[in-house]
Amino acid sequence: MNSRRASYTLGFGVALLALLAGSVLAASWLSPNDPLAMNVGARLQQPSMEHWLGTDRFGRDILTRTLHGGQTTLISCGLALLSAVLIGLLLGALAGMFHGSLFDIALMRIIDVLLAFPFMVFAMVIAALFGTSLFHLLLAVVVVWWVGFARLTRSLVLQAKNSTTVDAARVLGTSKSVILFRELLPQAFGPVLVLATFELGNLILAIAALSFLGLGSQPPSPEWGSMLADGRAHFMTSPHVLLGPALWIILTVLAFNCIGEGLRDRIDPYEKARIG
Amino acid sequence: MKIAEDLKEKLRIERLEVAYRQEGAIQTALKSVDFTLHQGEILSLLGESGSGKSTIAKALLGLLSPSAIVRSGILSLSGQTPIDLSQPSKNWNGIRGREIAMLFQDARLALNPMMKIRDHFRETLLAHRLASKEQIRSISEQGLARLGFSDPSTVLNAYPHELSGGMCQRVCLALTLCLRPQVLIADEPTSALDTVNQREVLDLLQSLQRELGLSVLLITHDIALAEALSHRVLVLNEGHIVESGPTSQVLREPSHDYTRRLLSSRNLTSDAEASSSPDAASLLEIQELVKAYGSGRPTLSGVSMRLHAGEIIGVLGQSGCGKSTLARCVVGLEQAESGSIRFQGQDITYAKGTARRRLARQIQLVFQDARASLNPRFSALELVQTPLHTFRVGDRKERLERARYLLEEVGITGAAQHRRPPQLSTGQCQRVAIARALALQPEVLICDEAVSALDMSVQAQILELLQRLHRQFGFSILMISHDVRVLRAFCHRIAVMHEGRFVEFLQGNRLSSGEHAHTRLLLHGAEELESL
Amino acid sequence: MGRRLLITVLQMLITVFVASLVLFALIRLAPGDPAKLLIGRTMEIAWDAAAYETTLNELREEMGLNGSVFSQYVSWIGSLLQLDLGTSFYTDRSVAAEIGERLPSTLLLAGTALIIQTVIGLLVGILSAVHSGTWFDTVVRLLCVGLASVPGFVIGLVLLLVLAVQMGVYEISSQAALSRLWLPALTMGLLGAPQVVRVVRANLLSELGQVYIQSALSRGLGSTRAVWHAMRNVLLPTITLMGLSFTSYISGAVVIESVFAWPGLGEYALNGILHKDYPALQGYALVMVLSVVVIHLMVEALYVWLDPRMMRRKKEAAHE
Repeated sequence: MNSRRASYTLGFGVALLALLAGSVLAASWLSPNDPLAMNVGARLQQPSMEHWLGTDRFGRDILTRTLHGGQTTLISCGLALLSAVLIGLLLGALAGMFHGSLFDIALMRIIDVLLAFPFMVFAMVIAALFGTSLFHLLLAVVVVWWVGFARLTRSLVLQAKNSTTVDAARVLGTSKSVILFRELLPQAFGPVLVLATFELGNLILAIAALSFLGLGSQPPSPEWGSMLADGRAHFMTSPHVLLGPALWIILTVLAFNCIGEGLRDRIDPYEKARIG
Repeated sequence: MKIAEDLKEKLRIERLEVAYRQEGAIQTALKSVDFTLHQGEILSLLGESGSGKSTIAKALLGLLSPSAIVRSGILSLSGQTPIDLSQPSKNWNGIRGREIAMLFQDARLALNPMMKIRDHFRETLLAHRLASKEQIRSISEQGLARLGFSDPSTVLNAYPHELSGGMCQRVCLALTLCLRPQVLIADEPTSALDTVNQREVLDLLQSLQRELGLSVLLITHDIALAEALSHRVLVLNEGHIVESGPTSQVLREPSHDYTRRLLSSRNLTSDAEASSSPDAASLLEIQELVKAYGSGRPTLSGVSMRLHAGEIIGVLGQSGCGKSTLARCVVGLEQAESGSIRFQGQDITYAKGTARRRLARQIQLVFQDARASLNPRFSALELVQTPLHTFRVGDRKERLERARYLLEEVGITGAAQHRRPPQLSTGQCQRVAIARALALQPEVLICDEAVSALDMSVQAQILELLQRLHRQFGFSILMISHDVRVLRAFCHRIAVMHEGRFVEFLQGNRLSSGEHAHTRLLLHGAEELESL
Repeated sequence: MGRRLLITVLQMLITVFVASLVLFALIRLAPGDPAKLLIGRTMEIAWDAAAYETTLNELREEMGLNGSVFSQYVSWIGSLLQLDLGTSFYTDRSVAAEIGERLPSTLLLAGTALIIQTVIGLLVGILSAVHSGTWFDTVVRLLCVGLASVPGFVIGLVLLLVLAVQMGVYEISSQAALSRLWLPALTMGLLGAPQVVRVVRANLLSELGQVYIQSALSRGLGSTRAVWHAMRNVLLPTITLMGLSFTSYISGAVVIESVFAWPGLGEYALNGILHKDYPALQGYALVMVLSVVVIHLMVEALYVWLDPRMMRRKKEAAHE
C-alpha cells in the first residue's frame, strides 16, 4: 500500500515507545519521590505543580507510581509474551514440518481445546483457584497465548512448504534443516513479528482489565493494573486518580499498534517493488 | 485479411496521455495515443507487457485504477458527444456495456465467484432495462446457445468455479453481447487458455463479429493472433504507437525498428538438426511411469522415453496432460507409483535422502515461474552460490568467481548481480534461475514451461541463451512446453503427450508429419494462427 | 455439506469433553480443601476437634469429595448431563439455576453490542473503503488505531462519569433494565467496531480491485451495484469476525458488567472468585466453553450455507 504512510506510522510508534520506555526506565531519576511514601495529609489531591498527576488515597504521588509501576508491567508482559511467541514458533514450525503426523494432529486438538477457553475465563479460573496475583495472570497468558502464534507459524510453514521456492531448494539438493532455516522460518518471522506487536498491546490491555477487577498484582507495590483497581473506588469523585496509569497504558498500546501497522505494511518483500 | 469495405468511423481516441502515481513519483504510461476504430473491423493493438496496452483498454471504459492520472484524451463515439477523459466526473451511462463492452484476460476472475451465471445475466439485463423479469431466462439461454453451449440451463445454474476457463470466456462473451454493444474491447481474451480452447473462443469471436458487424479492438501480445484475426494493426511500444496500418503491410513490411525486432523474435532460428546425436549413450531412461493423484484417471499412465547425452527433447502437450508431473517425478518432487526412472543406468525412481540430494549435481529443473523459485531475500549472486555452497564446491572465493562467471554467461552483469529477485525483471529472473541450475554442471536440464510466461522478444533471447549454453556445456535438455513454436525451433525430437501418455515421437523438423489425432489437433490450433 | 458439519460437531464434542477434563483437573489441583473452606465460613471455628472432623467428613461425603478422582469425575459428568452444575458454596443455591437467571442479561448485552458493532463497522468500513485515501479514510484509520488502544473500562468509566454523574442522563443501579442497557452496549459496541471497520475496509478494498468488479462496471452496472457485488465476498470474513466478537463479548463482558453494575454472568463469576465459590466458577467456565463451541459451530454452518465454493471443496474431497 502506501509505504510512506507505513514508515511514518512505524516511526511514530517507535518514537512513542522509546519515550515511554525511557520515562519508565528512568523513573527514579525523573521523579525522586518514593513511590511507596504515604502522606495522609495530602490524599486525593488534584494535579498540581508539586504532584503533576495528583495523589492517590494514601497521598502517594501518582506520576511517580505510574513511572515505577511501568517497569513491572512492561517487563512482565514482555517476558510473558516472549515465552508465548517462542513456544508458539517452535510448536507451530514442528507441526508444519511434520504435517499430518501424530504430533501435528495432537497439537491441533490441544489448540482447539484452548481456543474454547476465552482468555478472560481461563485467567479468572486460575485466579480463583490459585489466588490473585500478577504472576498467576502471566502464567495464564503463557498457557493460552502461544496458540495464536503456533497456528500462524504452522500455516505459514505449510504454505511455504508447497511454494516453488522450497521446491527449487529441494531440486538443488538443499538439506531439510537448511530449508527450515533459510526458506521456511524467515517466511514466518515477519508475520509472527507483526502479530506479536499487536498481541503485546492486547496483552497489556487484558492484564489491565483483569487487574482493574482486582485479579492482578496486589497493593502496595506500584503496577498500572493495581493502581487502576486501587483508584476505582474514588474515580467518581476524583477522576484524576486513574489518569496516570490509564494514560500510560493507552500510549503504550498505541505505540505497539502503530509499530504493528507500520510493520505489516512493509513485510511483503514484493510489495515495494510491485509496479502498476 | 481484407479491410472491411465500409470505412465508417466508429470510435476515435485522441491525445490519450496517462500516467501512474507511484511512491510519490509519477510514471508516464501512455504518450499521446491517437487511433480510430472503424465500423465492423478488427483492430489489433500489439504490444509486449508494460507497453501500456491494457491501460488503453481500461481508459476507454473509465476503469483505470485510482493511482492513474489521465492527463488528456478525447473519446468520440459516432453519434455521441465526445467525452473528455481527463475530466474527473464522466457519465458512463449508456456507454459501458451498451456502446463499448469488454472481454478480460482471465474470464474466471471476471465473474463474481459468489454468484450463479444466471444472476450475472439477470443483473446485467435488468440494469439496462433490456428485459422484463419473465424474459430474462429465455434471453440468457439464447445468448448462451449462440456461443455454442448445448445445455444453457445447466450453465445458468452453475457457479463460475464449476466452469472451465474457456467456458467462462464464452459466458463472458454471451453476457456482453446480450447488451448488443457496438464496440468490443478484447484484452488478451485467450492468453489464459490452452491451444484448443483458444481456437474455440477465437472462432466464435470471429464469426460473431462478422454476423453482428461488431467493431473489435483486440489487445494482444501474440503476433500470430493479430495476423490471423485483424484487419489493421497498431504496434505499441512504451506508451507510443510506433506503427499502424493494414495487417499485411505492417507485419510483412514493417517500417519501424521496434516492429522489425518484434517480428524477428517470432522466427526462432535453430541449429537443432546439426547437433542431433541419436547414437550417443542413453542418459535418462523412463519406463512405464505411473503417477496418480487420488482415485481419478492417473496423471501419468505409463510414460516411457529415453534421453541421450547432448540431446534436446521436447515434451508437447496441453495444460493438465501430465507433462509437469513427469518433470517433478524425475527430480524427485513427486514419487511415482510404478515404473522406473534410470539415470546412467542407475535406478533413481525412489531415491531419497542423501542419494536424492546428490542427484542435484546431475539433474536440474528450471521452473515456469522463475521469480517464485528464487528466494526474495537473497541477491542474484548469493542465489547462484547457494548450490555450490551446499555441495562444498571450491572455497568461498572460487564459488564467488564461479557465480560471477555464470551470471555473466547468462547476461546478468554489473549491478544487476547484486539485486534481489523483486528488483529484477521476469526475464532477468529466468536468467538467474538458469545460471543457478547450471552452477552444479548438471548433465540433464529440465525446463518446465521455462519461457511461457515471458514476452515474445524475451522468449527469443532466453531460447537463444539456452541454445548457446547447450553448445557450450553439452548437457541434455528436456524441454516441456505447450507451445509448438518454441519446441519446433529448439528440439531434436518432440514427444507429444496426451492424457498422461506419449502418443507420438517426432523429429523436431518433422513435427508437421505427425499422424496422431491429438498431434494434428495441437498443430492445427497453432497453424490456424500462424498460417497466414 | 452434511458430512462436513457432522465432522465439526464431532470435533466440538471432543473439545468440550477435553475442556471438562481440564476444568475438573484444575479444580482438583487447586490448593486448599473446599470442604474446609466452606466450614470455615459457615460455622464458628470448631471448639471441638472431633465434632469438626465429623462435620467435615459429612460435608465431604455430601460434596462427593471422598471417592477416587475417577469416580468423582464420573459422578460430576453424570450430574452435568442432567444439567446439574452443583450447589454454590456461598449462596447454597443451584448453580444451574443461578446461571440460568443471569445468562439472559449477559446475552442481551452481548447481542445488542454485537448489533451496534456490526452496524457501525459495516457502515464506516464500507464508506472508508469507497473513499479510501481521502481525509475521511485517514480520520477513520486514526480513530480505529486510537480506539483499539484504550482499555474498555476506561471508556466505560469516563462515559459513566460524564453521562451519569455529571449530566445525570444515565441511572446507576444494579438492575438489568432495558433502560440501562444502552450505555454498556454502546461502550462494548464502540470497542469492537474498529476491528469490524478494519476487516470490512481491507477486504472490500481488495475485492474492489478484482477483475470481476471491473467486468461488472464494464457491463454498465453502477458503482453502488459494484460495491454490492464485492460485499458478497466480504460477508464471509465479517461473519468469522462476528463469531469471534460474540464469544469475546460474552466472556469479556466481565469488565463492562462490573463497571456498569450489570447483573450478568461476569459479575457472578467475580463473586465466585471473591468467595472461592468453586462450583459457581466451574459452572461459569463450562457455560463459557459451551457458548464458544456453539458459536463456532454456527459460524461454520453459515459458511457452508453461504459460500458456493465450500460445496465444491466438499465434492473434491469426496472424489479422493
